[in-house]
Amino acid sequence: MTHLELENLASEYLEGQLDAVCRVEVEAHLKECAPCRELIADVRHALELCQSAEELEPAPWLISKIMLGTVGERKPTFFEQLAAFFRPQARMRLAYGIAMTVFSLSIIANAAGINLRHLTLQDLSPRTWVYQANRTGHLMVARAEKFYYDLRVVYEIESRLRQFRQGSGQGTGREERQTPKTDSPGNGTTDSKPPEIPVLARVQGLIDAPADFSATMLFGAGTTRSSFR
Amino acid sequence: MEDDPKLVKRCLAGENSAWEILLKEHTRKIFNLCYRFTGRPTEAEDLTQEVFIKIFQTLQTFDAAQGSFATWLNRVARNHLVDHYRRTRKDRLTSSLDDETGVMEETPSPAAGPGIQVESRERRELLQRGLDRLSPDLREAVILRDLSDLDYDEIAQVLAVPQGTVKSRINRGRLELARVLKRMEGMKGPAKAGGAT
Repeated sequence: MTHLELENLASEYLEGQLDAVCRVEVEAHLKECAPCRELIADVRHALELCQSAEELEPAPWLISKIMLGTVGERKPTFFEQLAAFFRPQARMRLAYGIAMTVFSLSIIANAAGINLRHLTLQDLSPRTWVYQANRTGHLMVARAEKFYYDLRVVYEIESRLRQFRQGSGQGTGREERQTPKTDSPGNGTTDSKPPEIPVLARVQGLIDAPADFSATMLFGAGTTRSSFR
Repeated sequence: MEDDPKLVKRCLAGENSAWEILLKEHTRKIFNLCYRFTGRPTEAEDLTQEVFIKIFQTLQTFDAAQGSFATWLNRVARNHLVDHYRRTRKDRLTSSLDDETGVMEETPSPAAGPGIQVESRERRELLQRGLDRLSPDLREAVILRDLSDLDYDEIAQVLAVPQGTVKSRINRGRLELARVLKRMEGMKGPAKAGGAT
């Protein structure tokens, strides 16, 4: 076997692909030829270097970059969209939205006076809503007014004002004092009109009132605290 | 796991997820092939991207009866690399320093110790420099056989040459690489020894 022949068989010899006869010939040549032994050792070393070479890891964004360069911005599937919708952040948003909607609807239903437990066909009519809303509004105003007049602190302030006026303008309100008192505010019902005469004027007329004065002054003329409720 | 021809069919049907699976499966191999050819990670990334864009555009031409998807992919990549080599021949002749330092950009494996990392990197650089000295024909044969682990039949398909030619190229490539490495190590050895004294 010549050097050139051995060179041509080097890879096959190292990969163990030679038949038995050829292999024996190569090994016999290698025993006698130092340069060829060295050559085979060098090739083996090169192969080992190749085999031990680690594969490099491409940059993590490379796949995304290729995706962008080929299919463009990837469209999420229906299930991915659904999953994205029910993500914790989205869940919070959804819950908040639902809560606000329910809250708003309940306020509207309450203002319209609609009883959701006993819903009738008439309740669904916008006319009923307007009527009920109007009625509820008026009731609320009347109640608020009664509540205001019912407050002790209001009475106290008005009483002080009355005394102050009395002190400053004595003798001028004789006729007023004799004026019979008018309807009490509210007159015991929530549907009544607010008093036409200001409270201060009425209070002034009651200054010389008889024994029921204190009760009258405390709870309004002709009414009691409980009657407002 | 789904096989490649089925994934290709799904890709052709417009399923992007199938394309993504194919990419995840083959990007690393193609990137390494490109890196072995160019010796520069950034250039290898660009080439990998170009190869896959080409693959995506010609996906309908893939015929499973003629060979595996991996072989077809390697063939397209190899052709692209050869084109790139011819295109950039002039640039390569003028640039020298960048070629030498390009390999240094890669990130070492964090699992290995610093000593092993350095040693591994030195061996990789040595091998890369050795491969760079080979002619393109011999280099691609050696890379496909010894670094990409393709068998002779696959290499013959990729290179579109008879199997005898493949064997011959691989053998000549290995002999040439062994000589180059020996020369380089011989130059490195005395230099190191000289530096030590």
